Amino acid sequence: MTIAKYIKLYFKLVSAGIRAQLQYRFAFVMRIIGMITAYTGTAVTMWVMLYQFQTLGDWNFFEMLFLFALSILSWGFCIILFFHFRSLDTYILNGTFDRFLVRPLNPFFHFMAMKFDIASFGQFLFSIVVFVIVSFQLQLEWTLGKLLFLLGAIVGGVLIQGGLLVIISAFAFWTTKSEQFYWVAMFPARNLTYYPLAIYPKFIQWITAFVIPFGFVNYFPTTVILNKETPYFPDYMGYFSPLVGVLFFGLAYFIWMLGLSRYKSTGS
Amino acid sequence: MNMLEYEIVLKIKIIYGVQGMSSWSMYWTFTKKAFLRSSVYRFEVWSRTGSNIIFLLMWGSIWTALYAGRDEAGGVTFTAMLTYIVVSQFLDGVNEAGTPLWEIQEKVRTGDISLELMRPFDVPLRYLFADFGSVAFYMITALLPLYLVIFYFLDLALPTNWLTWVYFIISACIGFLIRYCVEMTFGLLTFFLVETGGIEDIFYFAMSLLSGSVIPLWFFPSWLETIAVYLPFQAIFFMPISIFIGETTGGEVFTSLGLQLFWLFVCYLVLRMVWNRASHKVVVQGG
Amino acid sequence: MSIIEVNNLQKEFMIAKRETGLVGALKSLVKREFVKKEAVKDISFSIEKGEMVGYIGPNGAGKSTTIKMLTGILVPSAGQVTVNGIVPYENRQENAKSIGVVFGQRTQLWWDLPTIESFELLKAIYRVTDQRYKENMSIFQEILGLDEFINTPVRQLSLGQRMRADIAASLLHDPPILFLDEPTIGLDVVAKEKMRTFIQEINKEKEVTVILTTHDMEDIEKLCQRMVLIDHGQKVYDGDILAVKERFGKMRTLVVDLEDANSSFHIKGGELCKQEGNRYWLRFNRNEVSASDLITQISQTHNIKDLTVEEPDIESIISRIYQEGFIEKQTVKG
Repeated sequence: MTIAKYIKLYFKLVSAGIRAQLQYRFAFVMRIIGMITAYTGTAVTMWVMLYQFQTLGDWNFFEMLFLFALSILSWGFCIILFFHFRSLDTYILNGTFDRFLVRPLNPFFHFMAMKFDIASFGQFLFSIVVFVIVSFQLQLEWTLGKLLFLLGAIVGGVLIQGGLLVIISAFAFWTTKSEQFYWVAMFPARNLTYYPLAIYPKFIQWITAFVIPFGFVNYFPTTVILNKETPYFPDYMGYFSPLVGVLFFGLAYFIWMLGLSRYKSTGS
Repeated sequence: MNMLEYEIVLKIKIIYGVQGMSSWSMYWTFTKKAFLRSSVYRFEVWSRTGSNIIFLLMWGSIWTALYAGRDEAGGVTFTAMLTYIVVSQFLDGVNEAGTPLWEIQEKVRTGDISLELMRPFDVPLRYLFADFGSVAFYMITALLPLYLVIFYFLDLALPTNWLTWVYFIISACIGFLIRYCVEMTFGLLTFFLVETGGIEDIFYFAMSLLSGSVIPLWFFPSWLETIAVYLPFQAIFFMPISIFIGETTGGEVFTSLGLQLFWLFVCYLVLRMVWNRASHKVVVQGG
Repeated sequence: MSIIEVNNLQKEFMIAKRETGLVGALKSLVKREFVKKEAVKDISFSIEKGEMVGYIGPNGAGKSTTIKMLTGILVPSAGQVTVNGIVPYENRQENAKSIGVVFGQRTQLWWDLPTIESFELLKAIYRVTDQRYKENMSIFQEILGLDEFINTPVRQLSLGQRMRADIAASLLHDPPILFLDEPTIGLDVVAKEKMRTFIQEINKEKEVTVILTTHDMEDIEKLCQRMVLIDHGQKVYDGDILAVKERFGKMRTLVVDLEDANSSFHIKGGELCKQEGNRYWLRFNRNEVSASDLITQISQTHNIKDLTVEEPDIESIISRIYQEGFIEKQTVKG
């Protein structure tokens, strides 16, 4: 099947997914409200933290908000495209995953196209409002170059976080678990990146730069936009976000396919 | 089920309760069962420990950066503050070993809890005793060894007086019970709401910020501190940890414990009220 | 060449051992032991085009493992499989075009959308041409009566309607082979009967080869001429259903209620196979001894209150085969 045909089919499947989701409008609205509440809660915690101390490292409240909002913005796209990957284990356990294997399609594609979670509207609303506030407070000048850079960072962030979700879902092929991995590994790891990486021990910074490249989601790009120092790393790291994203997602896809072939030999 | 059947169920409960001097031994069985069952979920034990360590590392780093080399801020030494965060993460580990909020909600939605109404035991008490079992297992296999190592290697301020240890343990236990009541109450709200979206986020927010689990109340802006003081959440983390690091001493300890008992009483009453409403709803409207 | 060929098929799994007791519980935190399980030991059979075959066996016999290997979901440990000339696990997507699969307990339809939308999505997934889609839909409407619920969301369909929609969905791309896993599970008697008629008509109309796994022996009796019976990962019987009935059909069971309970007795030509209170089940070969013979014998020593003679249905025959093994292990090829 050609790429163009796949893209056409993707939109068909996705629009079905959206229509299915809109059957539950009340739940949909409540989820958006819930997410905005949760993120506002974290922002309030940051504000309380800096109420007495003024700065964290050399980051002030609004700089931290920017860092936080960038993470949430790319996470919003991730939720749309990949968030359902975390529950691959449920699909495997109750046997519904087999459905994807009796169809003449690439299973990764088919699984990805199955859901399109538009409730991430909450993430977009939150992060865009924060961007506007922070831009005024820090008097940021948004040139075309900077906007393009931001776009690249978002693409990179989506691919990196999406890649990690894909890897986590692939664990289900080996361990029959994935959702839990999300809550115990990726959720805390994402929380780490809400704060400037410079405050963490060197080995953590090293891991988030080269192993699980979360640093490229928001920290490195933010240091470029806000002209912040990056101890241990050159200050142009942020420019590599899209590249790192593509490479990491490629790796994730490879691992997923490896897991799938293992699933086919063990069936569990 | 009509009212008559409801009364029959109640009677069965009363009869069992009266016959059951063995009632406590029945609850004790739930504890033992939960203890043994925890071991089956070995992955959960490891993973929860992993995420606990990540959060400890995060908050430790944040407070180190906030102090920025100073020995003291707002009258609290850096060592005391670091101890505060470590103890807080320990208590967080203890609290997380119990039945989580989403599981209670799930049990309400699937009707598991409604089914348990038919059984001759008190449902909130049954879950509490089961939690004792899973908490004990998690403490023995993961939390205690981990935190012994952490306390050994980090330069933390341990209480020197054994009485402080006793007060801390009592205070932490009351805190655990308060959290149980609050969480169960929030979980039971699922009985009355079609969608709980915002509710659980408010719960998690209160649990992390207003309880003082990540920022002690004395660093709050005064208006927020006032709000937090008049809420039960501070009794879960802030009060026991303050006793541990010696911020609450002498007669204040007893005021603090008394206040905790008061909150426990209030939260228990609220839980009972919500529970009675919920079970009434189940038996009259079928859940 | 047969449309499905299976030769010396094998599949092994490694399964984690559950530790018991407190020490075991703590031990399993660190290390877990695995045991090898042979789900399918050595199975061979071939199926011709247009056949309708019942593939049956108790839970854990290796039924679904075999089906998964035929559909390309699982890779065999050893042995050969070809489905419509394709090796499923080597060429899964190609194979997927020539099979239709219905898992009775799990729908392949989009739960929250009107039924028709699932058909349209599957049309896109299988790239069915407009003309074929139209033709097929009108055939299904006629046979399966999709009209009455085509615009209802799948989650609101009755189980019978959903199953009909699922069967139609699996045949949309004209697969020559159809796998039906428990197609009547959970249906009431009337709906079951309807479903069987549908399957028969589909088989005739489209000349689809059907492989049916089920726990309901009536499905097999009404639908299939041939059954493949497996147990513990091995084939126990493969052949004509009538042949089985004939072989075991000569056995009858006499059920007698006696006035005095718990008396032991010996009857020539009858074998006591079950007893509950004062009710006794005696199995006998009707070619060797007649029922009236037995009754006369019993009434000499006991007072009979009530009696019936039971003919064996396929279900009891099969449960006997599971319990005792197929006595003469030669197979009758159907």
